[in-house]
Amino acid sequence: MAGDAHILPGTLDLLFLKAVSLGPLHGYGILLRIEQISRGALLVEQGALYPALFRLVRQGLLKANWGVSDNSRRAKFYELTSAGKKRLRQEEDSWNRLATAIASALRARPEEV
Amino acid sequence: MKLWASVRIFVLTVSRRSDVERDMDEELRAHIQNRAEDLERSGLPRPEAERRARVEFGGNERFKEECREAMGTHFFDALLQDLKVGVRMLRRVPGFTAVAVLTLALGIAVNATMFSMVSAFLMRRPPGHDPERVAVVTSINAAPVFQADVTPVSVPNYLAWRAANHVFGDLAANEERGVNLSSQQQSGSAGDSAGAAQPERLRAAAVTPNYFSVLGAAPQIGRTFVTGEDQPGHEHVVIVSHDLWERRFGSDPSIVERSIRLNRENYDVIGVMPESFRMLGFVPQLWTPLVLSAADQSAAARRDRSLFLFARIKDGVTLEQVRAEMGTLVRRTDETFPDTEKGWGVAVRTLPDFLIHSFGIRDAIVVLMTAVGFVLMISCANVAGLLLARATARRKELSIRVALGAGRLRIVRQLLTEGLVIAILGGGLGVLLSYWGIGFLRANLSFNEAISAVPITLDWNVVLFALVVSLVSALLCGVAPSLNASRADINVSLKNESRAASGGRSRSLIRKLLVTAEVALALFLLIGVGLLIRGIYQIEHQDLGFRSDHLLTASLMLDDARYSGADKKRVFVQNVLDRLRQASGAEAVAVTSDLPATGPDSVTLIVKDHPELPTEQRLSALDFVITPDYFRAAGIPVKRGRTFTELDNFAAPAVVLVNQEFVHRYFQDRDPLGRQIQLDVGEAAPHWSEIVGVVSNVKTNSQETRDDPEVYEPFLQRPVSSLALMLRTTSDPDGLASALRSAVAQADPDLPLFRLMSMPALIEGQKGGTPFFERALSCFAILALILAAIGIYGLVAYSVGQRIQEIGIRMAMGARSSNVLGMVLWDGLKVSALGAGIGLVLALPLPRLFNAMFSGILHVHEPGLYVIVPAAILSVAMLAAYVPARRAMRVDPLVALRYE
Repeated sequence: MAGDAHILPGTLDLLFLKAVSLGPLHGYGILLRIEQISRGALLVEQGALYPALFRLVRQGLLKANWGVSDNSRRAKFYELTSAGKKRLRQEEDSWNRLATAIASALRARPEEV
Repeated sequence: MKLWASVRIFVLTVSRRSDVERDMDEELRAHIQNRAEDLERSGLPRPEAERRARVEFGGNERFKEECREAMGTHFFDALLQDLKVGVRMLRRVPGFTAVAVLTLALGIAVNATMFSMVSAFLMRRPPGHDPERVAVVTSINAAPVFQADVTPVSVPNYLAWRAANHVFGDLAANEERGVNLSSQQQSGSAGDSAGAAQPERLRAAAVTPNYFSVLGAAPQIGRTFVTGEDQPGHEHVVIVSHDLWERRFGSDPSIVERSIRLNRENYDVIGVMPESFRMLGFVPQLWTPLVLSAADQSAAARRDRSLFLFARIKDGVTLEQVRAEMGTLVRRTDETFPDTEKGWGVAVRTLPDFLIHSFGIRDAIVVLMTAVGFVLMISCANVAGLLLARATARRKELSIRVALGAGRLRIVRQLLTEGLVIAILGGGLGVLLSYWGIGFLRANLSFNEAISAVPITLDWNVVLFALVVSLVSALLCGVAPSLNASRADINVSLKNESRAASGGRSRSLIRKLLVTAEVALALFLLIGVGLLIRGIYQIEHQDLGFRSDHLLTASLMLDDARYSGADKKRVFVQNVLDRLRQASGAEAVAVTSDLPATGPDSVTLIVKDHPELPTEQRLSALDFVITPDYFRAAGIPVKRGRTFTELDNFAAPAVVLVNQEFVHRYFQDRDPLGRQIQLDVGEAAPHWSEIVGVVSNVKTNSQETRDDPEVYEPFLQRPVSSLALMLRTTSDPDGLASALRSAVAQADPDLPLFRLMSMPALIEGQKGGTPFFERALSCFAILALILAAIGIYGLVAYSVGQRIQEIGIRMAMGARSSNVLGMVLWDGLKVSALGAGIGLVLALPLPRLFNAMFSGILHVHEPGLYVIVPAAILSVAMLAAYVPARRAMRVDPLVALRYE
């Protein structure tokens, strides 16, 4: 898939937290949501999803509950805990600062130096 | 509590493991299903969609493993893996494993075996309901006698305290006594035994009717006593123990409502207590009601302290409140009756506490457990040393693992796990060995009724203890090598491994420390055991003050039913003595209230013309009542004056004899002949007696070193009921046993004779647990010595192995083999000498400790041991070092230099 952006290391957790912050989702739903909100630019490797989710649960950033999905199948839904919400805000801030910094660095022209 | 938290996580993870796995499976499956449906919607046929979804998802198992790790259950998987690796590792070196496991197994076996005593004696719950709420009330003797605080209580005090206290729901009393069970017609089970028909002397207890209800104990058959059965005319009822019911009455349930003859009177059996109704040290075969008469409440009865009081504490009352209340009551008694009560106190303990305290076995168990604890520590030090040596051999392997990325922690864990595997194997084997150990224990601990009534078994307490000991050992064994490994520098060991001249300085330092500690412990133990055994030896070989050889003895108790008056007792004794004198082989015969050196009761006394002393300082002496030939029969030399004759009878002036200790203490060694003393033997009208002779000292008890003042009264002037027969023989005393038995049977066929045995056998019986104690301690000390020797051997052998190149070089440079031998021996000697020195210093206060612990019983003083034991230990150490040293001597320089 040529047009895909590479996911920078360390940003995967941020994406998961963001996806879940928009409403409780099951694992497959999270993948679809990321694809959707990145307008198809970001694709997450399916297998990498679950270890990351379990880790986030263990860190207390997500909580998981069994429920029923749209197609009436039993599924485990993830949602943010309050710690997760706080972490998401911090990560967003630091990402934005980084992105702004990188972007301004890249905009630099010879005459500005 | 961190440990507990980990245990919980472990249990939860293991128990919930399948749930977690199922959850994970379901979640991943749902994911693939969802994906497949999406693919199907985009136009793929269903089977193809599913296949694609699975392929896209990738290696299921790998993700699951990552998930598990992410969830934190990983720790225990790693533990299992460590265990597997550990077992594999140990199987590769069976010799090493066998030595380590066996060493530890021995250590754990002796500990588990000894712990079975702790479990049987100290941890068993007394019978009855809620025994922690039962208080036992005893007097505290004003004089500092042995176990002064478990002195029984007098009847007047019992009655006064029962009436006045506010802390007890009910207060019961128990008086231990013996009864004669007469021969009787056994209806029904007639044919079975002539033995059952023999009259028999039994331990019994007279108890207040509320005794069983206070304890909360129910009978197996029948009933217990009811109110009013302690009144004259209603008191002929008896409850029998399970043991007696089984042994004498063939477990016949119809025994209830039949009657048996006790002291020649009929008693109706009303109940049988269950087998579980046994209390440590209290082993009566039957219970009768305690009848209190007016005489029991007289002033004289205050001196007769014979009751143990058992009370149910009222709800909401604490033990402290009980003690405070009893303290107040006793102060009141002290003030009201200073004559008899001055200085006497009261002790209150819970039932479990009291039983253990009064049984007095705790000190012996503490000594034994300390000894086996040392043995275990030496075992652990040995295994730790072995593991360290192994760790050195595995340095390269471990370094490679570290280089490949294994965490330090992981390596430490691996080594600890290996220790754990060894400890668990050792523990298992140890428990198996302790099964035999406990059998041995049981066979040795049956020297009296009270001891053999205690079942010693390999129970859950013991197994649990062995498990805990194994785990602690695992930690002790594994910790030194692990610390070492975690400190090891990979680079150094990887680089140096091939050419290390003497590797791992810190490692060998730890090993040296371990062996030093082992030697110190072994020496401490050997000196401790040596002191005790020497003390016991001195007791067993002390001059008792009489000749115990060729002496046959037996006891009997004249019951009041037939021997109510003094005359009847005199006649009976005369009759028996006459018959015995005619027995062939009888040299001298006598009757006495107490056999020599068997710890008789003491009486208080006053000396005429001596200033009157306050009650609590009143003089006392051991009291014997004897017939004239006693001193000849016992072989006690008469020092001054005369002995008794047949003429010293009730019509003649009262006379007594005293021993030398009496003269020494109460007459400052001045001539006592002709002086008058008055013995307080509970008579209505005390009388003065003249001292007419002095005899030499006889030890108070054959198992103690004490000499006490002794006083002898003639039987004809004060006939007592509790008697012992003494027969000096010209041949083997056991040969006259039947003659003695028949002499008594002819005088009275219904009178049971008990403890019929030769004097040496009686003394042997008095030793009680001492021979066992001695044997067990010697075993442990020798085991410790052997283990320490193995430790020294291991250390020296290992260091020889390490230094083989160095030795080769030395030999190549011209060192002679004797130099090498000396060098290696010196290595072993240094460590042993240091350990011996430390052990010696630690052992210095032991004699004082033992003398305080066993005061009046043992007198430990043996400075020679402090030379002999270190010398012996150093010799053994030299021997252990010599074996590997010889190997070093024979090192071929050429081979050594090419080594590795």
